[in-house]
Amino acid sequence: MKEARDVILRPIITERTTEMMADNKYVFEVAPKSNKTEVKQAIESIFDVTVESVNTINVKGKPKRMGRYVGKRKDWKKAIVKLSSDSKPLEFFEG
Amino acid sequence: MKANWEKLENNTGILTIEVEPEQVNEAIDQAFKKAVKKVNIPGFRKGKVPRKIFEARFGVESLYQDAFDLMFPVVYGQAVSETGINPVDRPEVDLEQIGKDQNWVIKATVTVKPEVALGDYKGIEIESKDFAVTEEDIENELKTMQERSAELNVVEDGSVENGDYAIIDFEGFVDGEAFEGGAGENYNLEIGSNTFIPGFEEQVIGMKKDEEKDIVVTFPENYHAENLAGKEATFKVKLNEIKRKNLPELDDEFAKDVSEFETLEELKVDIKNKLEKKAEEDKENYQRQAVIEKVAANATIDIPEIMIEHEVDHMMKDFEQRLLSQGINLDLYYQFSGLDEEQLRGQMKEDATGRVRNSLTLEAISKAENVEVTDEEVDEEINNLAEMYRRSADEIRQIFAAQDQLEGLKNDIRIRKTIDLLVESSKAVA
Repeated sequence: MKEARDVILRPIITERTTEMMADNKYVFEVAPKSNKTEVKQAIESIFDVTVESVNTINVKGKPKRMGRYVGKRKDWKKAIVKLSSDSKPLEFFEG
Repeated sequence: MKANWEKLENNTGILTIEVEPEQVNEAIDQAFKKAVKKVNIPGFRKGKVPRKIFEARFGVESLYQDAFDLMFPVVYGQAVSETGINPVDRPEVDLEQIGKDQNWVIKATVTVKPEVALGDYKGIEIESKDFAVTEEDIENELKTMQERSAELNVVEDGSVENGDYAIIDFEGFVDGEAFEGGAGENYNLEIGSNTFIPGFEEQVIGMKKDEEKDIVVTFPENYHAENLAGKEATFKVKLNEIKRKNLPELDDEFAKDVSEFETLEELKVDIKNKLEKKAEEDKENYQRQAVIEKVAANATIDIPEIMIEHEVDHMMKDFEQRLLSQGINLDLYYQFSGLDEEQLRGQMKEDATGRVRNSLTLEAISKAENVEVTDEEVDEEINNLAEMYRRSADEIRQIFAAQDQLEGLKNDIRIRKTIDLLVESSKAVA
């Protein structure tokens, strides 16, 4: 199995995700090759909580151009993790 | 909030203020609300950053300074009124203890109004001064009126006399050479005004219209231009015109011209009344000033330096205003008076000390004598002011209320009443 911290890359902290925290839902960027089960296990082992469900979305990188060269930002995977209602809230310190 | 006042020497003391965490947190909340509008965190619009994220990123300590600034004026005001002290300056503040969910302890070093040890202030003896209006005063007044309405007449024949205006062209030579500033055309010289070098005006006397004459004078030893001082100079002078002051006769006709009165006698009576009124005012001013000075001199006060400094600041501002109304600014004033700010302040210092001393003394007396100001007296004062500024009384009252000055007005009246009291009890001695 992959290491937990290789699966979970970073928390996404924005206005929207802070609002979602009230519903016990936390949003992360995760490794694109990982699946929902891996995310669930990783979160449980890092934060010591129980995960109720995981939803994932593949986010396509935006096309960007530099003059005549067309490039593309990397694709990434977003995971919305819902914790069980009895688990403690997560604290993120890197802001 | 708890406050404790500890008195030290020289009218200073330490005010210790202890603020409970609830009040501190309230202040921090307010500070956060302010600060959050300014921070930029990716993922959030301005002002939408949650408190938690803000604190995680910047630390709650970053809010302390703002919170303190918000809180301090409030608690300081409370502490001052609680301990009943009279600060005269902004306090020097030291934060003794701060922290989350702790009492904050603030130490403020404060200079307070000094205590006044009053000396004698009742039955003060003041030298009486004569302010009576004499016949001579009236004559003098009439004479100035006469001068003011004098006409200048051109004298065609005849020669220059003392008191005339001579319109002259002149050019001066020293050792046969013209010198700078030694020439002028159509210069209006009043004979006897001593505007020119001594001896010059005297030699113009007796000249006739269109006459040309060489005038020889010696520059005085202390003349301001060094290269000319003590030298002999020859002025070629041409007299263009003579103007003579024509003083009007002092008669009823004159009275009609310069005033609304029909006869000279009436005018004189009016002048006398005016002078007497002025003398009355002068006398009152003199008495008040004399009493205040004596009483202040009798009192013992240890005036804090800072109060004097404040007064000097005040005077400087006043002075600058006055200069500005004459179209001069301070820099220009410094230039031609040869003083710098330091020196000017030094000059004002003595005056300022006197003023502070006077006002402190009067305040202490008004307290000792329980001088009270009633609302009616305030009303009366406002009515007076309204009349002076041609506004309605309500308007004036609003202006004062808007600037929180009603209390100040009351104080002014209190001080005035105190002075009245002092003057009443004083004795005039020859």
